[in-house]
Amino acid sequence: MRGRSRARAGRWTAAFLALVVALVIAGPASASASGRAATRPPISVVAAENFWGSIVRQLAGSRARVTSIITNPNTDPHSYEAKPSDTRSIASARYVVVNGIGYDTWAQKALDANPSRTRRVLVVGELLGLSDGDNPHQWYSPTSVERFVSQVTADLQRLSPPDAGYFGAQRTAFETSGLQPYHALINDIRTKYAGTPIGASESIVSPLADGLGLRLLTPPSFLKAVAEGTDPTAADKEAVDRQVQARQIKVFVYNSQNSTPDVQTIVKAARGQGIPVTTVTETLAPAAATFQAWQVSELQRLRAALMRATGR
Amino acid sequence: MLADGFTWDLGSDLHQLFQFHFMVNAYRAGTVVAVVAGLIGWFLVLRRQSFVGHTLAIIAFPGASGAVLIGISAAWGYFGFCVAGALVIGAVRRGRPGEFSEESAVVGTVQAFALACGFLFVTLYHGLLEDVNTLLFGSFLGITDAQVRTLLAVGLGALIALAVIARPLRFASIDPDVAAARGVPVRVVSTVFLVVVALAVAETSQITGALLVFSLLVVPPATAQAITARPVLSAALAVAQALLATWVGLAISYFTDYPSGFTITTLAFAAYLLVHGARWMATGRHRLRLAR
Repeated sequence: MRGRSRARAGRWTAAFLALVVALVIAGPASASASGRAATRPPISVVAAENFWGSIVRQLAGSRARVTSIITNPNTDPHSYEAKPSDTRSIASARYVVVNGIGYDTWAQKALDANPSRTRRVLVVGELLGLSDGDNPHQWYSPTSVERFVSQVTADLQRLSPPDAGYFGAQRTAFETSGLQPYHALINDIRTKYAGTPIGASESIVSPLADGLGLRLLTPPSFLKAVAEGTDPTAADKEAVDRQVQARQIKVFVYNSQNSTPDVQTIVKAARGQGIPVTTVTETLAPAAATFQAWQVSELQRLRAALMRATGR
Repeated sequence: MLADGFTWDLGSDLHQLFQFHFMVNAYRAGTVVAVVAGLIGWFLVLRRQSFVGHTLAIIAFPGASGAVLIGISAAWGYFGFCVAGALVIGAVRRGRPGEFSEESAVVGTVQAFALACGFLFVTLYHGLLEDVNTLLFGSFLGITDAQVRTLLAVGLGALIALAVIARPLRFASIDPDVAAARGVPVRVVSTVFLVVVALAVAETSQITGALLVFSLLVVPPATAQAITARPVLSAALAVAQALLATWVGLAISYFTDYPSGFTITTLAFAAYLLVHGARWMATGRHRLRLAR
């Protein structure tokens, strides 16, 4: 029995080794023939998240093909796991837009593993001079969105100089008609409700509150903990409860894409106290909406809640 | 489920596979890790020390998360913690080398504490949370040239150390008492071996994740040792299987988007089942013939 199995094992080894040799020879041969994909219009653009991707798509118009990686409104982008196909699209894009600020390290890794001299990368955090630990939800800041729009247009113009005029016109159209209702709503809320105290579930609301001139009373450490998926401290939870019980906040805003049991409890308490509750989401909802349509519907709900709370 | 691109034309598939630099690096890193894990794992299985290997893998998790917490590369955490863990386990072990009962309790204790530390580091470092799955279950996406060079250098170092101690180690593994009587420094050899295992575990963790280290470190050697008792042949078979599981697993993951930790482990497991199934059938037929 030993002798027979030994002979069989020998045959198996030979088969294994033959396959190994074949793979070793085939691998590098095709590797050397790789790379250098022909660059042809339209510009291939990949955005790590669809809120940035939507803006880029509207600015680039017909001269680019824009793909966004994180699009599912039912998952939390903070805990996104990159798939091989994501890395593949990042590796083959000529223009890559990532958020940075620790929000999408998987995208940064994909960029590092695929060095390219022809690719342009826009890291929103770097554009705004922010680093890890700062608030990553800059698409909720109207001023950051403005800076993003000008940078994307400049990048597209550099990527395809013959289309510079087209991209300039696209930008003007986006600013004057696309973003017009968004800016109008922000101005309206700011003039009517500036200084109104509100509460929130997490730091995604902070840039919005700043942009609207609302006073966000929730402790920043609580907002940060919920956004990052860590446990808020007992003292912070107590402070939040007190603000609800004493009706110090007029409206409570929470992220429905990241609503932990803690947040659910606050929402219930706020409703019990007659405090209007409104939601925001991390990414575009519905996934097919444009950036401005999504923001406008959130802002309208927030304005309605403020109206109910203040009677103004 | 197949992503665009997979065809039955092997040439075009291989071309697609190596079209992007991240896949070239994944194959480079995977090849280094498979060879290192196959060879070192072969001794680990021979010495019945899989549990120590598992503990070192668990230690890799706080190593990596701790390194990211203090802001250095995760690779340093993997190597530093695994080697330190190996030295602790090697130092704590007392008495005859054949006594494994006490050792497993010590090893289990170290393991529980290591896992707890890893969890603490992850909690302390805000924002790392998205990477926990990668640390535990592996990822071949985003391996840089520098990481490949580190893997290659450490892997070579570990294999050279293994080559130096290979003969006394095999002797001490088969019969520690006779080896000690013949003047083999059993204690030193087994501690050096633990460090070598630590390096292999640290390397493998970076591809398969801390929890799936065994898919390359234990499964292929265990399968190979079931195929044949000839040492050189079974060690070669272990390496071949680890390589095959890694190469094919990476390709399947690339074309289907299934996680590589799953595809690599499943291939290694399938080979294990096949070999044991074939052995079972062979002995069954043998018994039938004897009965007749």
